[in-house]
Amino acid sequence: MSIKYFLLFMLTSGILAFSFAGDRLDPAEEVKKQKKLLLEMMGILPGDVIVEEGKEIFHKEGPNGKSCASCHGKDGKGEKLPLVGAYATMPKYYKDIDMVADLDLRVKSCMEKYTGYDPEELKGKKGRKIIVPLATYVASLSNGMKFNVQPRHPKEKEMYKKGEELWYARVGKMDFSCAMCHDKYGGYRIRLQTLAEPKKSKVMRYWPAYRYSKDKMWTMEDRIRGCYKQIRVTKPPFYHWAHVALQMYMAVNSNGGVVEVPGFVR
Amino acid sequence: MKRILVGLVLTVTLFYLLYLSEPASAGKKRTFEEDIKQDWAQKVCSNPEAKVPEELLDRFLEEQRKLIKYPESGNIYGDWKRGEKLFSNPKKGNCYACHCGDPKELACGNIGPNLRGYGKKKKDPEYTYRKIYNSWAYVPCSVMYRAGVHGRLTPEEIADIVAYLHSEESPINK
Repeated sequence: MSIKYFLLFMLTSGILAFSFAGDRLDPAEEVKKQKKLLLEMMGILPGDVIVEEGKEIFHKEGPNGKSCASCHGKDGKGEKLPLVGAYATMPKYYKDIDMVADLDLRVKSCMEKYTGYDPEELKGKKGRKIIVPLATYVASLSNGMKFNVQPRHPKEKEMYKKGEELWYARVGKMDFSCAMCHDKYGGYRIRLQTLAEPKKSKVMRYWPAYRYSKDKMWTMEDRIRGCYKQIRVTKPPFYHWAHVALQMYMAVNSNGGVVEVPGFVR
Repeated sequence: MKRILVGLVLTVTLFYLLYLSEPASAGKKRTFEEDIKQDWAQKVCSNPEAKVPEELLDRFLEEQRKLIKYPESGNIYGDWKRGEKLFSNPKKGNCYACHCGDPKELACGNIGPNLRGYGKKKKDPEYTYRKIYNSWAYVPCSVMYRAGVHGRLTPEEIADIVAYLHSEESPINK
């Protein structure tokens, strides 16, 4: 083979390799690209629009004349019960409901208990339209702060233990566990999707997150339900203890991570 | 005439209602709690290393081997064309989720080994059958789900996939 052909071969294979690498861009690069694209197109990220929506709900009076801001102050910066930094310590035990709650459950129980929302209004998919933006807004009030969840209350310790058990539990007709996909095979691909590594990436720090592939804001509860669906296990209903337990486990593993909500994921 | 018509409408409505109410009472929705109940082997595998403790290994392997059943015909080498469909169908084998094989299938995962040219490796088709039926009888706690044990694939369907992997005509080996 002449040197000319050899060079030509090297060049074409180089171009091929390059274009494939472009197609299967490193997933982190792909996310960056999408984010830039959306920002250029709309001038604002969809997630930030939802935070604004949550902020409005936060300051709007509920049926009994109280808003979230009545107790937590304007922008959650009240002298009593401020919410700045609250998300970085969740899930947490709350005396008023005698339960360990994650973001979604805490927001829902507050609205029912103090603002007089009809529990029916907050149920199911209809309720998510209020709770998801509100939860995202409340979480964003902790932006820039470090995650610090230390289970101390017996119920918090119990939740952590249950979460750890669930994380490793091989279940269902696919024999999967969270750990198999996200610890052991994290970074590998299912079809063309790279499996996330929630513990390594300190996942709780960037959820709730806007998912550009679905054009939706998701809280971690939505994400957990999506995972169980994919491994063919009936999804736990919203506000189920399994959400709280798994988030307790993931939150402790996210300690030290700086909150940056809303996240932006595929 | 009117009476017959009313009678007809009533009968149809009644049957329709019966038809509607049956699946609701028969197919009770499964719950999360039911679905996360584990069998003994799943419990044993639920640890950070995904390993069976040494002292349980013999019992584990023996139990997993016992779960393997064969097609009634005794034939473990089915039709590779049917196997091909089962292999790629996300609702059946969904094997491409983790394995590559046919070079035309680009949307294949890399969790399991690439199966390109599997038939040329001269493996025993019966081993292939048993491995698909119950991977845990060979690799305890493997990430590969136990297709036959959970009934996601019938013995006959597994035999078709065996043919897809071994046949010389299969795109896996061409």
